[in-house]
Amino acid sequence: MPTPVQIMEEANDVIRYLVEVGLAGDQNFAFRRDLPDEYTEVTFPHSHHINIALKNRDYAEIYAVLAQARAYNAILPDGAILQMMYKFVGEDLEQHRLAFFPAPHLADFQSNAEAYLEDEIYADVVAQRNVRFPLRFDFDCRDGICIPLSHPKSHLSLGQYENCRIPLSSAITPIGFVDFVLRNFYHTAFHSFATKLPKYARAFAESIFAEELQVVHVRVPTPAN
Amino acid sequence: MTSVSVVRGTNNKPVASEALARFFANNKTLTGELMVGYPIVGSSDGRFTIDAIFVSPQKGVVIFDLIEGADPGDFCDRQDDAANKLEAKLRGYKELVRKRQLAVPLSVISFAPGIADQKKFAVKDYPLTNLGGLPETLAKLDWEATEPGLYAAILSAIQSISTIRKSRTKRVAEKADSRGSKLKALEDSIATLDNLQSRAVLETVDGVQRIRGLAGSGKTIVLALKAAYLHAQHPDWRIAVTFNSRSLKGHFRRLINNFSVEQTSEEPNWEKLRIVHAWGAAGGTERDGIYYEFCRAHDVEYFDFGSAKARYGSSGAFSGACKHALSLFKPGKPLYDAVLVDEAQDFPPEFLRICYEMLDSKKRLVYAYDELQNLSGASLPLPEEIFGRAPDGVPRVNFDGDDPAAPRRDVILEKCYRNSKPVLVTAHSLGFGIYRIPTRAGATTGLVQMFDQPDLWREIGYVVKDGALTPGSNVVLARSEESSPAFLEQHSATGDLVQFLSFPDHETQSQWLTAEIQKNLSEDELRHDDIVVINPDPLTTRERVGPIRRRLLDLGIASHLAGVDTSPDVFFESESPSITFTGIYRAKGNEAGMVYIINAQDCHAAAYNLATIRNRLFTAITRSKAWVRVLGVGKEMDGLIQEYQRVLEHNFELHFRYPTEDERKEIMIVHRDLSAADEKRVKSRQKDLFELVSDLEAGNVHAEDLDDKLLAKLDELLAKRRAP
Repeated sequence: MPTPVQIMEEANDVIRYLVEVGLAGDQNFAFRRDLPDEYTEVTFPHSHHINIALKNRDYAEIYAVLAQARAYNAILPDGAILQMMYKFVGEDLEQHRLAFFPAPHLADFQSNAEAYLEDEIYADVVAQRNVRFPLRFDFDCRDGICIPLSHPKSHLSLGQYENCRIPLSSAITPIGFVDFVLRNFYHTAFHSFATKLPKYARAFAESIFAEELQVVHVRVPTPAN
Repeated sequence: MTSVSVVRGTNNKPVASEALARFFANNKTLTGELMVGYPIVGSSDGRFTIDAIFVSPQKGVVIFDLIEGADPGDFCDRQDDAANKLEAKLRGYKELVRKRQLAVPLSVISFAPGIADQKKFAVKDYPLTNLGGLPETLAKLDWEATEPGLYAAILSAIQSISTIRKSRTKRVAEKADSRGSKLKALEDSIATLDNLQSRAVLETVDGVQRIRGLAGSGKTIVLALKAAYLHAQHPDWRIAVTFNSRSLKGHFRRLINNFSVEQTSEEPNWEKLRIVHAWGAAGGTERDGIYYEFCRAHDVEYFDFGSAKARYGSSGAFSGACKHALSLFKPGKPLYDAVLVDEAQDFPPEFLRICYEMLDSKKRLVYAYDELQNLSGASLPLPEEIFGRAPDGVPRVNFDGDDPAAPRRDVILEKCYRNSKPVLVTAHSLGFGIYRIPTRAGATTGLVQMFDQPDLWREIGYVVKDGALTPGSNVVLARSEESSPAFLEQHSATGDLVQFLSFPDHETQSQWLTAEIQKNLSEDELRHDDIVVINPDPLTTRERVGPIRRRLLDLGIASHLAGVDTSPDVFFESESPSITFTGIYRAKGNEAGMVYIINAQDCHAAAYNLATIRNRLFTAITRSKAWVRVLGVGKEMDGLIQEYQRVLEHNFELHFRYPTEDERKEIMIVHRDLSAADEKRVKSRQKDLFELVSDLEAGNVHAEDLDDKLLAKLDELLAKRRAP
């Protein structure tokens, strides 16, 4: 099971990779913070701004606050921001929050890749934008919070739908998260940024409730031994 | 020769202002400076504008209360008010006060050219006069500026428009000789506008005004302050300041806000004074743009970048979109009272035309540009061409004629405050290819581009040291002491101001660069925001800059790459410092003490587009406030260094033969910008020709096999090329 130190290192390796291939225009490294009662957090600078993302506000406004405060691990060419936060008790994962917030006023990477990669000065002049919505991989295994089916321990939330929690078989590592984002939103005919991501054989233990296997769910790969 | 210089700002009393300006412009006995529509004095009850002011070593300070028409109103009260407010402001300058008295006399005259019988309103101690009585009224004022420096001090106090260059944050430099200390000294010495810049800010015309100037001459500041000044004088006007790179927006906002607060003690009304992108898209005020607004107002089809590119190609996208809109709109729907365009060289002429058509009949359009910073290939045509002709065939805009009483319509800022002489001359020399050795057989000049009007060299601050500035003649050009102030270069040895370095490969370039940056931060007392790294080729910026930034991160140094949506202010204001990496387009408007240009080998040679490519190098070099390092790899970089060596050998002077008109035409063709499609066509024809020649040589094809008429035609075309 990945420890806090390993998760932090993995997150930072991913960030370095994103910088190196030119995808991250700006970045903040993950850092580890010890909290009372044997809690440890792996988080990013300015993370206190995420509170805004939890409030009832217009998405464009939420995005603007986060981007302005540089509250992210990385910002991508199309303005999308990535955040990774993990919270452990001792060595055991208790919660995580991995978020992808696209820029609502810009075209997504796949539909405008050339303009972004070639530094086109008018790349931000776009009239038709796809509907861009945030997505989050959340994990919470605290008693009283997780409830089979209605609040899976590990789940994917799409958009800002209040009760959208698609069950996942387990928690996700930083590489698993970024690989998912790159593969789905940053691959074009000419670019496959996910293929060279650093690889680790780490994974969290399966955490899905039996009932949840009966509904549409997402399987997280387990490490090959 | 007139001895009063007249600066025509704007106010809401045009008739009296005009009469006053003419009087002083034609006056042969007085000396001094007349400023109309200035100064603005912030006071407890808000903004207060003085109609006009005359500052003179013979008369001291004379405030003019201007009266339009025949009713003087309560002019005594106005005179007291103006004098009290200005005095309160001037008393703030220690050098103007002796004990508790202002050392310069302050008088007020109410000037009413529309009042025939001035005696009717006469009040003791409150002079009121029409044009005829003005000389006599002025004659009663007497002062002699005996104290040396006092006149200069009062003039400077009144002219000081804005303390513009205040560093964003306090600079801490402990070592007296560190780069950090040197930058601090530089920043302190260029904290105020010079006279020419102040004039350019105030002088406002009805009609089009053009501001030209070198990189670093303060065009952007002048434009920003001009917008702020116009807004202060005419709060009801709708004014737009426009630009093409979002990275400039915060910069404009800050400059305008500072000016407003300093001069008027009020924040500008951003509803009236708008800082808008040139293009724009739907999505609220933040995304708004001039072209978008124009399309909406006239209900014509709007293109975003993607659709314009699909229709007109990447380089012709904006020009195509603008042209389309211009072909469909119906005149007569003014949207603005004044429009100010920055970096106009980067816009297609059609865009300026759109700005022009958005204005009311006064056509107050101001555009600032620097021919050499053009990154797009096509340079701006003459104003006659941009703005077209009236039905009677007369150009709607031209800049001929020079009336000393009128505000200037064509302003040139010749002083460069950002770049030292070695930096600027290096940039010019490489930008024009002054010491470039021609690569084409038979070429008579290595120049990449040249001004059609030789006199432009003088106007941008060069002096002819030898030879003649005429086509076909040899000439030696050097920067004059006035146009390139010595303090800009005296802080460091020439060999430290500019360095060119060639590396065997990208890896060694990156190693050297990261080690230097580390040293800048740890030993040289430079801050992160004193350093900018520029990659000149926009196509490769992301991929080339990545590994270098990764290396810096491994050394614990944060950096960011300026992107579509990057606002530089986020980083400057942030508590977590970061070094800026940027492609050439977003380098505009940035300046830094230490500029690193990487992969400059891309700027040495090219079969096509060489003028544009050289302009990138020029733009990159001129971002430097103090030091510049030009790095590159391989053979092409060595070639560029050889060119720089010749700049050095010529001691930062430009020695060349001014090309003839025919030569200028030829270099324009050779180095013109080719679209991707053109480039493909040339390449494919070149290949065909190569194969034909090889086959003829090898005897696979004989000349006799080919069509006689075609061959004859080819003969004819080639003969034309041989005989000049």
